[in-house]
Amino acid sequence: MAQQTPVRPLGAPGDGAMIDEDWEALRFRVHRSAYREPEVFAEEIARIWGHTWLYLGHETEIPKAGDFKTRTLGGRPLIFCRDADGEVRVFFNSCTHRGTVLCRHSEGNTKFFQCFYHAWAFSNSGELAALPGDDAYPDDPAFRASMALRQVPRLQIHEGFVFIAFDPDVPDLLTHLGPAAHYMSLTAKIGERGMTTLPGVQLYSVKGNWKLAVENAMDGYHFAPTHNTFVGYLRETGFAVTDDDQYAYDLGGGHGLLVLTGHNGRIGMVWEPRFGEEEKERTVVKRRELEARLGPELAAEVADASRILFVFPNLLLFDLEALTIRQLEPVAADRTDVRAWQFVEVGEPESVRALRIKTMVSFVGPGGLATPDDIEAYEAVQRGIIATADAADPAHDWSDMSRGMANEKQGNQGRSIDEGAMRSFWRHWAHVVGASTSVAGAPPAGAPASGPAAARAGE
Amino acid sequence: MTSTNGSRGGVVSVESREVTRAEVEEFLYREAQLLDEWRLDEWLTLFEPGGRLEVPTTDWAGWDATTAGYFVADDYELIRARVKRLKSRKAHAENPHSRTHRMVSNVILLEAGAETVWITANFVIHRYRDGGAYTYVGRYEHVLKVEADGLRFRVRRAVPVMESMDPGARLSFIL
Repeated sequence: MAQQTPVRPLGAPGDGAMIDEDWEALRFRVHRSAYREPEVFAEEIARIWGHTWLYLGHETEIPKAGDFKTRTLGGRPLIFCRDADGEVRVFFNSCTHRGTVLCRHSEGNTKFFQCFYHAWAFSNSGELAALPGDDAYPDDPAFRASMALRQVPRLQIHEGFVFIAFDPDVPDLLTHLGPAAHYMSLTAKIGERGMTTLPGVQLYSVKGNWKLAVENAMDGYHFAPTHNTFVGYLRETGFAVTDDDQYAYDLGGGHGLLVLTGHNGRIGMVWEPRFGEEEKERTVVKRRELEARLGPELAAEVADASRILFVFPNLLLFDLEALTIRQLEPVAADRTDVRAWQFVEVGEPESVRALRIKTMVSFVGPGGLATPDDIEAYEAVQRGIIATADAADPAHDWSDMSRGMANEKQGNQGRSIDEGAMRSFWRHWAHVVGASTSVAGAPPAGAPASGPAAARAGE
Repeated sequence: MTSTNGSRGGVVSVESREVTRAEVEEFLYREAQLLDEWRLDEWLTLFEPGGRLEVPTTDWAGWDATTAGYFVADDYELIRARVKRLKSRKAHAENPHSRTHRMVSNVILLEAGAETVWITANFVIHRYRDGGAYTYVGRYEHVLKVEADGLRFRVRRAVPVMESMDPGARLSFIL
């Protein structure tokens, strides 16, 4: 059968491009091996998870001295704790003696982490505190010092969001975050007395590549068809979802942002009928509080739009409806562990807290009325892309992300229902993992805006 | 979990009405059958108006659904919305439906309230879809309204005992 449009021949994966970007044909394609191949996955863990700031957790998960959580990042078991002086510490969860997993609990509070194997114990600031039978070891403080718990090379906190890096030479966290830092700050400003994560963390795993979860979050195009039943539920409660006049932003560094004004309400910010009359009144009061504390402009920026922020490579901040923090942990090319927290205002009334939780879990998570359909999408893509692997015609084994390129070429801001935020993610991904990119034609002249604020500043 | 108001020989009294373990077992078995057969409208009638449907997260330590994150925290309106969704062909995660097979056991009548009985039971649910097989293990902790003609859910809570939801083991069906 003849091709409808000319397709430039492309090499097989390995010697050819993984990203095919063509500004003449207005086509952007990603080679499906990027989701599928264990070799690509190994490169991602080595080059991205090994050399980029990673979101670990939020300070409020460990509020008291001695609090700890254990979790795995880039496959490495870690202890995330607050030491006796109240400082946040992150250690490799591996005894310095023989490598045993030191702490086998998922959370708790302790002054010491003791290895069960030979009973070595470490303080929650990492010093070797007990060395049974120490008469058989060098009588030298330097020996004990050399056996202190290994801390991750870098640890920095922005607005309570704790990031770590396994590479000591990564740039400063704020440099890495770039404009994304501002959007995290907007969310952090919501609560008059601050923000906190809640217990009740959703832990689940999907049979899909981690990048499918990133694409899905940056993809307003899927919302109406994929979440048809959720949109229907909102309609019945008296709210009409719209995708008009909403935009996507490339924040650089692989970070992306969708700013949504018509998708749904937002507790305390944008009322919708299902939130009830009490919340309607509180929304008015809350807006006054925000304006008094932040000034009208910043209050409007915080309150008037929902945002989905992706911080490369593993953090998604859903500041919509209610608020969730989602962390992606790639386990294999076809498996991703997900951890999701509710993020709430400190000291908000009980009725608001209850409404927030009900509203958020009605949408998100493996038991929500919407996220299961997203999971279905990741998993169906992961199963489907086997079909064209090593296809007789190598032109078939690509996924298309061209939507909105003509609009972008004219210098217009990409819409949330276009695929520009996915394209900017993939460009950065290719750069970091060292995948080759084929670019034909002239990309749009203006560099992508770094967000609505920057876009406004440039007007 | 023993209680002074708990059952003796699997019988409790709620007001002047006796509730036996056999009655509760029958209720749970019939419910399991309705769910395995995807008879969701009939399943919905097992709730009293105002009933709740809850699935706590796997780190659950007894927190109320109004103070902590949950997997499912449906009030009655959301239960109805969930049923409506699951009956739609556009509920993609359950179109086609998962095949489920439920085993319910270890039923204990914990305590009689003014008009309710608190019960617990263990469950194992096998779910099959898209060539995958998933096992959900947990316990029910229900508050059942005792009515003259039978029992209704006031709070239907399914507590997973797994450490997390396994790959592919979503909660798109009724746990």
